[in-house]
Amino acid sequence: MATTAVGIASRVEMAAPPARRWYIDVWVQMVLRKPLGTLGAVIVLVMLTAAVLADVIAPYAYAETSLTERFVAMNARHWLGTDQLGRDLLTRLIYGARISLYVGFGAVAVGSVLATLLGVLSAYFGGRVDLWTQRGVDAWMAFPPLLLLMSIMSLLGPSAWNITLVLGAAFGIQNSRIIRAVALSIKELTYVESARALGSGHARIAVGHILPNVLPTIIVVATTGLSTVILTEASLSFLGLGVPPPYPTWGGMLSLAGLDHMYQAPWLAIWPAVALSLAVFGFNMLGDALRDLLDPRLKGG
Amino acid sequence: MKRYALRRVALTVPTLFFVSVIVFVMMRMMPGDVAMRMVEGHAYAPTLEALRKDLGLDRPMYVQYVDWIGGIVTRGDFGRSYWTRQPIIEEFLHRFPVTLELALLTILVSVVIGVTVGIVAAARQDTVADYTGRVLAILALSVPYFGLAVLVVVLPSIWFRWTPVWTYVPFTTDPLENLKIMAVPALVFGVTRAGPIMRIMRSALLDVLRQEYIRTAWSKGLSERRVILRHALKNALIPVISLVGLQMPLYIGGSVIIEAIFRLPGVGLFFFEALGKLDYPVVQSVNLIIAAMVVGLNLMIDLSYAFLDPRIRYQ
Repeated sequence: MATTAVGIASRVEMAAPPARRWYIDVWVQMVLRKPLGTLGAVIVLVMLTAAVLADVIAPYAYAETSLTERFVAMNARHWLGTDQLGRDLLTRLIYGARISLYVGFGAVAVGSVLATLLGVLSAYFGGRVDLWTQRGVDAWMAFPPLLLLMSIMSLLGPSAWNITLVLGAAFGIQNSRIIRAVALSIKELTYVESARALGSGHARIAVGHILPNVLPTIIVVATTGLSTVILTEASLSFLGLGVPPPYPTWGGMLSLAGLDHMYQAPWLAIWPAVALSLAVFGFNMLGDALRDLLDPRLKGG
Repeated sequence: MKRYALRRVALTVPTLFFVSVIVFVMMRMMPGDVAMRMVEGHAYAPTLEALRKDLGLDRPMYVQYVDWIGGIVTRGDFGRSYWTRQPIIEEFLHRFPVTLELALLTILVSVVIGVTVGIVAAARQDTVADYTGRVLAILALSVPYFGLAVLVVVLPSIWFRWTPVWTYVPFTTDPLENLKIMAVPALVFGVTRAGPIMRIMRSALLDVLRQEYIRTAWSKGLSERRVILRHALKNALIPVISLVGLQMPLYIGGSVIIEAIFRLPGVGLFFFEALGKLDYPVVQSVNLIIAAMVVGLNLMIDLSYAFLDPRIRYQ
């Protein structure tokens, strides 16, 4: 823990004089020093655009079937082909980006709040609160994530809301560990001690002094976590436990249930797999670069 | 050391307690319509009331919990499957070797690939080999294993008329035939898990290579092979081993999808099919058993560190 405390201290000192706005500086540094991170950011940006403008740019409606054009490989009307119901794959990929991002960002937002709450409270109050909270987190992390999420989704029933909340809860509990570790070391710094000496209450110290310094870590955890959340959503939809049809999702398009169709039309498997890999790659690279730029302490690998 | 061991063992008790609470609470979240489907779709009980009684949901919470845990601890009673009416623990133990074999082969594949590429990348830092290795690791991280598995099942059957063998042969019946069946799933899953191992191997080895004793080894005139493989690797492997240990739940969780795609009759397929049939007693027990196994495994890993590595000291 000693090395972490030193690392945090230096970062806090570096961040202390608000000479340049760090959130602008990060992007400048990204373009200058991190080509892969920039590539990731571009991929994420393309995905975002596709998701937001899906209604405008998609050539067809996502549930529009055409029985005369089933299993089209690739042609001028259907650039990426069609599926067993004659639905346009490009359209469904574009709308699929929307679900991936909605669920991804939604779950990460829910999860970040939960992780911060759990992590900061557990670290701040310490002692018994910390001991029991952490045993709870231990217990949660003992479950293979997919097993637990599959069970819960099966019980709750597949829906976009359920999967967002469930993935958010899982993300939050898991990452509260990292937030807790950072909050623990910040809690011991002298300026927190002096705030307490000045008579600040628990809420003021936790929100006013600890939270702002945990923020960069939260951002890093959130961006690096997005790819995992998107991938988990895809695995659940792949198994038929995510967002229900007819709404297209990448995992659902790749689905286990549709395996038989793919022998006739391999592009049904290839395009969603490529889209998913690209998205995960983009978020991974962006997350890694942001981590290096925001949090030198976590550098490596 | 002894105090640490005792403390570490004592800490697993509340963890196991929470594991059981999570599983218990999860099953009590079941909305009414799921219970309805269990009665109407699968005829697990004549009426909704009978099903609730059978699941023990009609009694006070604490009675349900104590009864359930008591049965497990004293009689090893994990309940019966609604579908087969067989004791769940028997089916679990019968299928577990398949999942264990898949997990071990997957770990073997990912460690062999990850460690080899990691060593080369670290030994040749900032060369073409290093960059290639790092790009490959990123690719492995990005391709979802279930996507790769689907492509591996679908594409060869179209291009080469090759399909995976769907009839499973146990290792004890015909080891060679069994390995043939397991090879493709283990390779697919192992390759996608090699990325993180390669990255941690590379950075750990780079750290170790900068240490004084390695400089001593160089200055004694030892060959590169000897310095890296005999002196540096041992220490650099520690984080790799702990990563593999930490990722055990991922290997087991992933086996659900891999077993479902390749039709391997392991615990994962058991679990997946139970979910499809709304056979929740199975879902509950498989979750509990596997989480308890992970807790036990983590305990063993932590204790073995304390014994093996004298540099690790806990307060």
